[in-house]
Formats: sequence, C-alpha cells, structure tokens
Amino acid sequence: MTTPPTPPAGADQIVSDAAAPAANAAAQAAPAGPPIRPYLEDQGGIHGLFFRNEGHTDAIIATDAMYMLIFWFSAFFFVLLMFLMVYWTIKYRRRPGVAPPRSTAHNTLLEVFWTVVPSSAMLVMFFLGFWGYMDKLVPAGNAMELNVKAWKWDWGVTYPDGTQSGQLVTLGGRSDIKLHALPEDTEIKLRMSSNDVIHSFWIPDYRVKMDVFPNRYTGYGFRTPALGPEDDHAEGRYRDHWVFCAEYCGDLHSEMAAIIRVMPQEDYLQWVKDQGSTGDPIIDGKNVFKRKCATCHSDDGSNNIGPTWLNNFGTERQFIDGTSAIGDENYVRESILNPGARIRAGFDNQMTSFQGLITDEEIENVIAYMKSISEAAGGGADDAAGDGDDAPADDAPPADIDAAGEHG
Amino acid sequence: MTTVDTNHDHAHGGHHDEGSYLTPRGGFWSTIWAWASTVDHKKIGVMYLFAVLFMFFLGGMAAIAVRLELYEPVRQAMDATGATTITGQLFAPAGAESIDTGNQIYNRLFTLHGAIMVFMFIVPSIPASLGNFFLPLMLGAKDVAFPRVNLLSWYIYVTGSIFGVASIILGGVDTGWTFYTPYSTTTDADHWRVFFMVLAAFVLGFSSILTGLNFVVTTHKLRAPGMGWFDMPLFIWAIYATSIIQVLATPVIGITLLLLLFERLFHIGIFDPSLGGDPVLFQHFFWFYSHPVVYVMILPGMGIISELLAVHARKHIFGYRAIAFSSLGIAAVSFLVWGHHMFTAMGELSSTLFSALTFLVAIPTAIKVFNWIATLYKGSIALNTPMLYALSFLFLFSIGGLTGFPLATLSTDLHLHDSYFVVAHFHYVMMGGTVIAMVGGLHHWWPKMFGKMYNETWGIIGCLLVFVGFNVTFFTQFFLGTQGMPRRYASYVDEFHTLHMISTYGSWIILLGFLVHLFNFIHSLVAGPKAPPNPWGGLTMEWETESPPIEHNFHHEMLVKHGPYDFESVVPPHCDEAEFPLPPPQEGAGH
Amino acid sequence: MATIDTQRADLPAPGSEGHPLFWKNRGHGHHFRSSAEEFDACKLGMWLFLATEILLFAGIFCAYTVFRTLYPEAWAEISHSLDWRFGLLNTVVLLLSSWTVASAVRAAQRGRNGALILNLVVTLICAALFIFIKLKFEYMVKLDLGKAPGTWFSYPYAENPQVPLCWSIYYMGTGLHALHVIIGACLLSWVLFRAIRYKAYGPTHYTMVETSALYWHLVDLIWIFLFPLLYLIH
Ligand code: HEA
Ligand code: HEA
Ligand code: HEC
Ligand code: CUA
Ligand SMILES: [Cu+2]
Repeated sequence: MTTPPTPPAGADQIVSDAAAPAANAAAQAAPAGPPIRPYLEDQGGIHGLFFRNEGHTDAIIATDAMYMLIFWFSAFFFVLLMFLMVYWTIKYRRRPGVAPPRSTAHNTLLEVFWTVVPSSAMLVMFFLGFWGYMDKLVPAGNAMELNVKAWKWDWGVTYPDGTQSGQLVTLGGRSDIKLHALPEDTEIKLRMSSNDVIHSFWIPDYRVKMDVFPNRYTGYGFRTPALGPEDDHAEGRYRDHWVFCAEYCGDLHSEMAAIIRVMPQEDYLQWVKDQGSTGDPIIDGKNVFKRKCATCHSDDGSNNIGPTWLNNFGTERQFIDGTSAIGDENYVRESILNPGARIRAGFDNQMTSFQGLITDEEIENVIAYMKSISEAAGGGADDAAGDGDDAPADDAPPADIDAAGEHG
Repeated sequence: MTTVDTNHDHAHGGHHDEGSYLTPRGGFWSTIWAWASTVDHKKIGVMYLFAVLFMFFLGGMAAIAVRLELYEPVRQAMDATGATTITGQLFAPAGAESIDTGNQIYNRLFTLHGAIMVFMFIVPSIPASLGNFFLPLMLGAKDVAFPRVNLLSWYIYVTGSIFGVASIILGGVDTGWTFYTPYSTTTDADHWRVFFMVLAAFVLGFSSILTGLNFVVTTHKLRAPGMGWFDMPLFIWAIYATSIIQVLATPVIGITLLLLLFERLFHIGIFDPSLGGDPVLFQHFFWFYSHPVVYVMILPGMGIISELLAVHARKHIFGYRAIAFSSLGIAAVSFLVWGHHMFTAMGELSSTLFSALTFLVAIPTAIKVFNWIATLYKGSIALNTPMLYALSFLFLFSIGGLTGFPLATLSTDLHLHDSYFVVAHFHYVMMGGTVIAMVGGLHHWWPKMFGKMYNETWGIIGCLLVFVGFNVTFFTQFFLGTQGMPRRYASYVDEFHTLHMISTYGSWIILLGFLVHLFNFIHSLVAGPKAPPNPWGGLTMEWETESPPIEHNFHHEMLVKHGPYDFESVVPPHCDEAEFPLPPPQEGAGH
Repeated sequence: MATIDTQRADLPAPGSEGHPLFWKNRGHGHHFRSSAEEFDACKLGMWLFLATEILLFAGIFCAYTVFRTLYPEAWAEISHSLDWRFGLLNTVVLLLSSWTVASAVRAAQRGRNGALILNLVVTLICAALFIFIKLKFEYMVKLDLGKAPGTWFSYPYAENPQVPLCWSIYYMGTGLHALHVIIGACLLSWVLFRAIRYKAYGPTHYTMVETSALYWHLVDLIWIFLFPLLYLIH
C-alpha cells in the first residue's frame, strides 16, 4: 500500500459551503440531518432475545410466529431428550461389579411412533413456511416499484420518477452510509440487479432478503409500517431500518450497508424532490461522487481502493503496463466506462464499469467536480471548503447533500 | 482357503510373533522410508490422523484470528485510535493504515478457515484416519481391499494440501469456501492464489474418491467369514454410507472446479454472466456436492457415537437396524436437498421442492437420536472421556440439527440465510457433531492405536472446557443471526458488539480445552501407562488383537462368534467377568 | 510392480514359464482369501470408479442441457459447423475398438496370448485413429478458423453472442473425452506390454485386462452420448 500523499494546504476546504452558489443556499444553512436511529425496541421475552423489534406488518408477524413455532417445537424435543439423557446417565451410572439389568434392544411400535410424529410436524412446518414465503415474494399489484442496482460496494436506488437517491449520512465512524426514504404504510416492490458480482439485499427488520445477480432481475415485495407516535423524534417522524449486503462480494462487503427511512407521505415527496439536480455542475458532480464513487475514491487526498481525486485531474499518471498519460476529460470518461482499459500503477483492477449506471450528464458533472479539486486544472486550494469526509464522527455530514433529509 | 492364507503369511517371513505395527524396523531413515512407503492401513491411518489434526490446528488458529477481529466493531476503534482492523494490525502492521487492507485480511482469514476446515480437515478427518485404522480391524480383515490405492490417496491428499498451503503463502484467497462465481472468477485476476486453492480442492477430491471406493469394496468383500451385513458394527455401516456419498458426489465437484479453473484461465464463460453463463448453475453444481458432503462429515461421527454409547453404557444398541438403515437413508436423501442453500437465488418452484425434501432428510437423523437416547436406558454407564464426548455430541448435534429447521423453512430462511444463524447452525453440526465425535473416538481408540492410556482426569477437564467454550462461542451467534448480523463481515454495526464479544471469549475457552487434550495426548505417548488390549470391554473385533495391533492385525483368521453389541451374553475378550459381569440369564428373553 | 526393481539375477527370464509374473505363477494379495475374491474386489472397484467417471461427465451434460435450452440458436450454429461424417467415422472406430477389447478379454480368459496381443494392438490403433481424426479434421480446422474456446475465440462471422460459450462446452466435453481416450490407451498399452513380456494374463489372472476393458467401454459409451448431442441435434 502506498502512503497517502499529503494534501496541499487547505485542501479540505474545497467546494466550500460558503463559496457555494446560491442554488445551494438552502443546503448551506442546513445543520446535520436527523440522526440515524436503528429500529431497536426492547420487547423482552424469548421473542425479544431473538428479534430486536416486533414486526409491524403482517408478513413480519407471520415470519416471527413461524420462527417461534419451530423454536418451541424444537425446544420441546430437545428438553425432553436431554432430560432423559441426563436422568438415565445418572440413574444407570456404572457401579463396579454390578451387572446391568437386562433390557430389550428394539421396539417396533416405539420406533414407528417416533418416526411418524416428527414427520407430521415437519409437514406442518413445510406448508406454513411455504405460505409465508409466497406472501413475501409476491408483491401486491399496486406496489410502488423501486429499481435497485448493486455494485461493489454500494446500492443505488431509483425511484419510480427516475430520481436516484443517495443522501449520505454519518453513523458512528462511517460517513458514507446511504439513506433511502420510503413512504409509510405502502406496498413496495423491488426490482434488483447487479453490475458486477452477486450481492444480496437484506432488510433484517423486514425479515427478508434476495440475491442480486448480474444480468438478471430478482425482487420481492414488502409493506412499510404505518408510523405512530413512537416514531416521533425531535427532528420529525421517521423510522430507520438497516439494509445489509448478505452475499459475499469482496473487500468492502461488510461496508455495503444502507438505511431505509420510512417517513410520512409528504415528507417523502419532499425528500424525493430534494434529491434532484441543484443546477450547479460542481455540486451535482460532488453528489454523484458521494453516491457512486465514494466507496472507493476519496476527495481528501487519501488513496483507498482507488486513487484519490484530490489534485488528480490533469496530472500525469503511470499505468501498470509501464505507459503513462495525462488524466484529461477523455481519460476520466474512459476510466468510468471502461476502467479496465488502463490500470493505474499501484492499484488493482477493482473498479467495475459504470456503463449504464451513470448518465453523460453525470459524467460531465463528475469531471467538473474533479477539476474543481485539482490544482493542475485550475481548481484547488484557494476556493475550497471542507466536506466532512474526515470530520469527527458526530460532525455534520456534507450539507449540500444532507440538507434534503432535513425536511422531515 | 484358510490353509492357503496361512501359508502365505509364512511366506512373508513369519511375522506372526512380531511386535506391533509401531515397532521400528531398522534405523531412523529406513523407518521413515518404511512409513512413507507403507501400504499398511494402520500406518496410513495414523499418518492421516496427524495430518488432519495439523490442519485442524491451522484452521483453528485462523478461527481464533477471525474471532479476534470480531471482538470489536472496528469502525469505532478506527475513530478512537486511528487504527484499523485488529487483524489488519496483527498481520500487516505496515500496510494497515487503510480499512481496506484490514478487510482484505479478514476476508482471507475466514476463507482459509472455511476451506482448510472443510476440504483439508473435516472431509478426510474421521474416515481417513480412524476409518482407515479401524475399518479392516472391525471387519476382521488384514487390510483394505486396495492398500496401494490407499497410499496413493494419502499422497494425493498431501499434494492437495500443499497446493492449499501454497495459496496461503502466496497471499491467501478471499472467495469464501464456496467459491461463488462470478466473484471467484474475477477476484485477484493477476494472481494465481485462487487458482491454487481451487486446484487444491480439486485434487483433494480425488483422494476422497479413492478412500471411499476402497472402503466400499473392503466392506463388500473383506468381511470376516460369518459376518453378515447385520453383524457389522454400526461404525462400519456409517463409513459405508459415507463412502457411497464420497464416490457419487465428489466427481461432480471435480468437474465443477475444473470448469471454474478453466473459467479463470480462459474465460470459457459457463459461469460468467457477462459471457452468457449462469452463476446459479455453479451454485447448483457446488451444492450438489457440498450438501451430500455435510453428511460425509457427520455420518462417520454418528458411527463413532453408536460405538461409544454401546461400549461405555454396556448396552446392546437400541434399534440396530433402524440406525443402520437410517445411515443409508441419509445417504440417499442427501442427494436431493442441495437447493436449500439457494432459497434466495432460485425460483419459487424449485425452492418449494427443495424445502420439502430437506425436511425429509431430518427424519432418519431424528430416528438415530431417539435410538441413541433409548440405548442409555438400563445401561451401565461409565462416565469417562469418550462417554462424556458422546453425551456432548447428543446435546450439541441436537441443537445443530434442530436449528436446521428454521433454515429449511422457506419463510424463515429468507431472513436467516447468510446470517450468523447459519454460522451457528453449521458449527453446531460440524464442530459440535463431527469434531466432538472425532475427539471422543480418538480417546476411545487411543489405547488401541498407540498402546498407551491417556490421563482420564485431564481428558474430562478438556472435554468440559471444550463443551462450555463451544456453547459460549456459538450459542450467542444464533441471536446475532436472528437480530440481523450477516456473515463474512469484517466490521459490523455497534448493536452487535456485546454478543460478538462473548463469542470471542468462548473461542479462547475452546482453545484452552484443545490444548489440554493436546498435552494429554503427548503426555500419554511419552509417559502414559501401557494399555491393555481391551480397556473398555468392547466386543468388536479390534479389541481382540493386541494394543497396539500387530502388523498383520490378527494372530489368526478371524471368525465371527458373537454380535458386536452382545454385552448381555458375552464376556469381552481379554477381560474377566468380575470387571464386566453379565446379567443373570433370563427366561424367555428374546434378545 | 515392485518386481522389476528387485529383479535378481537368478530369476527366470521374462516371458518364460518360471517368471513370477507369468500368469500361472501369480498369487494374490495377502489380505485376500483367494484370487477369485481379489478379482471380484477389483471388478467392483472398477465399476465404482466408472460411476465416478459418469458423474464427472454428467456435469458437462448438465451444462450442455442448460445452455442448449437457454441458447438454442447459438447451438444450432455450432451443430451446423460440426461435420457429422467425421463424428460418425469416429463412432464407428470406437465401436470397433470396443469389440476388439472385448475379444481381448475373451482371449485372456482362454489363455490365448497371441489373440490377446493382436486384439489389444487393434484397439490401440483404433484409439490412435480416433485421436488423429479428432485433431486433424476437427480441432485443427476449427481452431484455424478461430472457433476456439474462451479468450481464444476469434471467429468473425459468429451470429450469436453465445457462440463462444457453446464452443467452450464443446471443447470441454470432447476434450475431456479425448483425455479419457488417452488414459484408456495408456492402460491398454500397459496390459499389452505385460502380455508380451511376461505372458502375464491367463484364465486365472486377467483382472487387469478385464478392468482396463471396462474402462475402455466407458470411454466408448460417453462418446455414444456426445456424438448425437453435439453433431446430430440441430
Ligand atoms: C455436518 C454438517 C451438517 C449437517 C449434519 C447438517 C444438517 C442439516 N442442515 Fe445444514 N449446513 C451445514 C452443515 C450441516 N448441516 C453447513 C456447513 C451449512 C452452510 C454452508 C455455507 O453456506 O457455508 C449448512 C446450511 C444449511 C442450510 C442453508 C442455510 C442457508 O444458507 O440459508 C439449511 C437449510 O435448509 C440446512 C439445513 C439442515 C438440516 C435440515 C439438517 C438436518 O440433517 C438435521 C437433522 C438433525 C436433527 C433433526 C436433530 C437431531 C434430532 C433430534 C434432536 C430429535 C428430535 C427431532 C425431531 C422431533 C425432528 N443447513
Ligand atoms: C470443521 C469445520 C469447522 C470448525 C471445527 C470450525 C471451528 C471454529 N470456527 Fe468456523 N467455519 C467453518 C468451519 C468450521 N469452523 C466454515 C466452513 C466457515 C464458513 C467460511 C466461509 O464463510 O467461507 C466458518 C466460519 C466461521 C466464522 C464466520 C466468519 C464470517 O462469516 O465472517 C466464525 C466466526 O466466529 C468461525 C469461528 C470458529 C471458531 C471460533 C471455531 C473453533 O471452534 C475452533 C477451535 C479450534 C482450535 C482453537 C484449534 C485447536 C487445536 C489444537 C490445539 C490441536 C490439537 C487438537 C487435538 C489434539 C484434538 N468460523
Ligand atoms: C469498486 C471500487 C470503485 C468504485 C465504486 C469506483 N472506482 Fe474509480 N477506480 C477504482 C480503482 C481500483 C481504480 C484504479 C484502477 C484503474 O485505473 O482502473 C479507479 C480509477 C478511477 C479513475 C482513474 C484515476 C486515475 O487517476 O488514473 C477514475 C477517473 C475513476 N476511477 C472514476 C470513478 C468514478 C467517476 C466513479 C463513480 C461513478 C468510480 N470511479 C467508482 C475503484 C472504484
Ligand atoms: Cu455486496 Cu456483499
Ligand atoms: Cu445443506
């Protein structure tokens, strides 16, 4: 691993909130968005040991009930068998010189009994499980369809109107967790596909996951809960659910998390509106960066999986095949659409092509943003402002993006 | 025929009065050579035993490192100290300034752990070591059917393991033991390590096939005169069923891995969606082998448990035929359920079918457990280390098996798949089942194999440590899983911290337990008291020969005189009736 | 097999009636009770091994079935460029060799060493012929055109994007089969060598002939499946 180059003085001051254009005025003023509150609910009891919250929709309640049914069935047999085992072990422990009593070595009736009884119980389990499964997989007819695209190592969600979500929030040490809003009490249907390897979209609070494949669509349906007073927070009414990637997909598999935030209908509509373009290519470019590239690239001078973008545009770089080139617009475009074409020395060919995942306009915005943070391209040190990437955990996330969450 | 045979033995140089198979003949180097070129199933069994225990140790150390990493959620540690992952600091202190390095190291660790444990440890574990040693002895045979093939199988195993270790030395593999495509065909594209690991699994498959084939033929052809199928000890039945699975399932993983290798080398496209291939096809192929193989892991363990329970409870095993047939039943049904690993990847129809079939495979297993518990009834139960292990097995394996149900049930598996619930499930069956049974069997047969007794007190202490540590480590993981912790995660959200911490403490207790066993065994080899030929009063044939057995196993041609579990009517060989008294004859008693 | 190394000067010459490998002088493994038992064991072992071979190819056949259903057009394109006449020729060659190898077993059982040797030689010629036809008239021609597996595929006129994939399956299937032909030929050559040099096989000792022949039949059988699947279905 190469040591990260020291950023030029004031490099963390790029795209300053202060210097941001008026289009972003609303955003600047905004403090940090509402904090993430993983949906934890102490409910006690055995169910509470296994699940962190009670299900609030039919499908979840049914799944938990199914689980608890199996649990009690198993517990019954387990305790029975273990009791007999321990009891007989003690009762019939070996006493030197004493012969064991005679006993029978098989009993057909008994054997038939303990074959038939569990078998019929299993039949019940199978059918109940099957029904619950169909309920989860088959979405309601009027469901709102979300398009989920997975890539190493993030999720992109496209709303029915074409908006792409990507509000970034900070949680603990992580500042790059993407938040996707959903309206409360609504049937949702996911249409998922992957851009590289297999991922799996798991929402533990909804007790459902499905693998996400390249070159094919999978999906499932669920209903968001109706919010109640228990979801009222100082910042508004909402409820957060984790999304985890549940199929191993490489280095940052464990970082491939997201948040689903359920909010009242009007907040949701406002939120979606705020995700759109700001009109400023640099700000928009930064948003694209945050949504799609920040898992592997940074804009603060540290090299992660991929090279940092700080002071990168317009400079000369070496490739692993020994050649070198200036990183101009064409090179950046090629790197995005066909990253394997030229691999920069010191890095692996980890980047997947964003062909089809990124529009031309977005590419132009990204280039604009790259230029703005590169001295070689005339951007850089002086007109810059912090972006919070390396800010302490509880610091405000980048205002230009997170402002959107504020309306809740 | 017997005459011909005896002559033959004499022709070999009249080894009859010679010492045990362990007696060195000649100097140091010639002894080494004698072992390296031996076709004696006992020596091969012992060599396998040490090899798989070494692999277990390697895999176990990787597990300890895995647990160490999960001790902290990491993201917090990064903020507070500027440090990255724990294993990152441990294994790559220089390059650990970025979180990615830490994750990469963790991903390699759990892959190595899984791959070593599955391909190099648990699949060959019981059959190739204890099975090799005791199958011919229990059948009253002089060797396995194809002794040279047996040696070949051992060398193939070593070759495969060397490939595996090579891939570790080259920097490790990060695919997970399941090698799912297209990840496995694209990761580390410029390196050879994934290639070597896949090659290792491929080569090891041949070793497994040859062992299985050998055992099937041995069981068919080399049973002592008078030994019918239903006079065989249950361990043999289990090994026999296992071998059938090995022979029939392993070729499929062979072709799968071969295709995977070609895919990596030449992009032939069969599993690569970007070339029109189908990654789900790979999963089908993979699990078509890897589900049956979980019964390759557990069936020999079950066989050992049948022996341990019968001998140490001095009881005719309850429902002999039910247990024997359920082994075959498991082997048969095991080929029909592979799809339960893919409920989140397949269509509704196939998922439904596989769910139903999965429940079917649990029935023969339940039958076995019921019969084992019933065996304890009215026994004469000695609570020594092997028996304690047998009881631990019943406890742990039952939990492991029963937690298979929420996984087999479609609606709950959509939640539990690829979570720590699965991790807990399979450790309860693999570690709590197979490893526990193997260590129990090792204690049971240790005196026979090496002619030395081990220390009972330390054995019991070790067993209790492992039992407690195991439950602390893995019971917590059920809660982690249901609460939403995905597997193969190097870092996790804070909510899971406490449970992960407890789990890590548990892994240290397990380590302590195994170290106790290790030192107990070493002590026994160096300074243990000499073992009598039949310390436990067993009735199967291996107890009739010396401890350790002589080169040609038995002094004379074996003949079956009593069943393997006739404890109520037969005084065990080399034992006196005062120690193992028989119950008074009973009138009209059928059996 | 260790005999060759430990051969001592006082041993009778190979091929003479006194040599320990001459079939009348051969015993059986010390752990078997009789030669008959050893023979049965070896035969059972071979059958099991053949089962594993069939399962190995089953993987290829499964992949074939899956992709045939997924991409019928691509397969049609491939089948059209496979010449069934060469396929048929090779089928005949293999069937003939199966017959000669069966006769070889028969000859061994009757103790006719000459007939055994002759039949084995014919079988081996057939094997060579098969490989020759496969290489010269099929593989070479196609490789020259760029119809190669995986990364090497460079045939410019492929109409279907899945054609390279299907060629890969073709090469995997037939290549693996060709490998088995070669392995089988090696086994039979070994038998031939021992038959010529030691007269090692006769009515009481023909295990090796029998098992190698079984293996050869399997190779034949697999081709019987490959041929129509690849060449004839359009
Ligand atoms: C030794 C190995 C072993 C064994 C024996 C088993 C046994 C079983 N397994 Fe397990 N399993 C694994 C090893 C094993 N498994 C591994 C390694 C994985 C994960 C692989 C990976 O993804 O990396 C896995 C994953 C796995 C899954 C996939 C989970 C997922 O990824 O989503 C499923 C789903 O159905 C499953 C089910 C079962 C069932 C039903 C049994 C049954 O055979 C269990 C039968 C046993 C009992 C039923 C208990 C004993 C009986 C009693 C106590 C009597 C009372 C019982 C009754 C009244 C019924 N297993
Ligand atoms: C046989 C199989 C086996 C065994 C025994 C174990 C044993 C252990 N396993 Fe593992 N495990 C797997 C098979 C096994 N595992 C597989 C297949 C996976 C999936 C991998 C993947 O996802 O790809 C996995 C994954 C896995 C994970 C999940 C990783 C993740 O998903 O991120 C974890 C986490 O806690 C874990 C922990 C442990 C621990 C603490 C032990 C401990 O019990 C280990 C204790 C052992 C020792 C400490 C060794 C001591 C030995 C000696 C001292 C030698 C002397 C011995 C004698 C004399 C008997 N294992
Ligand atoms: C999976 C991680 C990953 C993601 C996500 C990712 N990249 Fe990359 N990127 C890399 C890696 C690794 C390299 C260096 C290797 C190479 O040149 O392909 C790289 C290189 C580049 C380069 C060339 C940099 C140089 O200095 O040579 C550009 C430009 C680039 N990425 C842009 C983007 C953009 C724009 C996005 C988001 C739309 C993005 N990347 C998302 C991993 C990633
Ligand atoms: Cu994406 Cu794991
Ligand atoms: Cu399974």
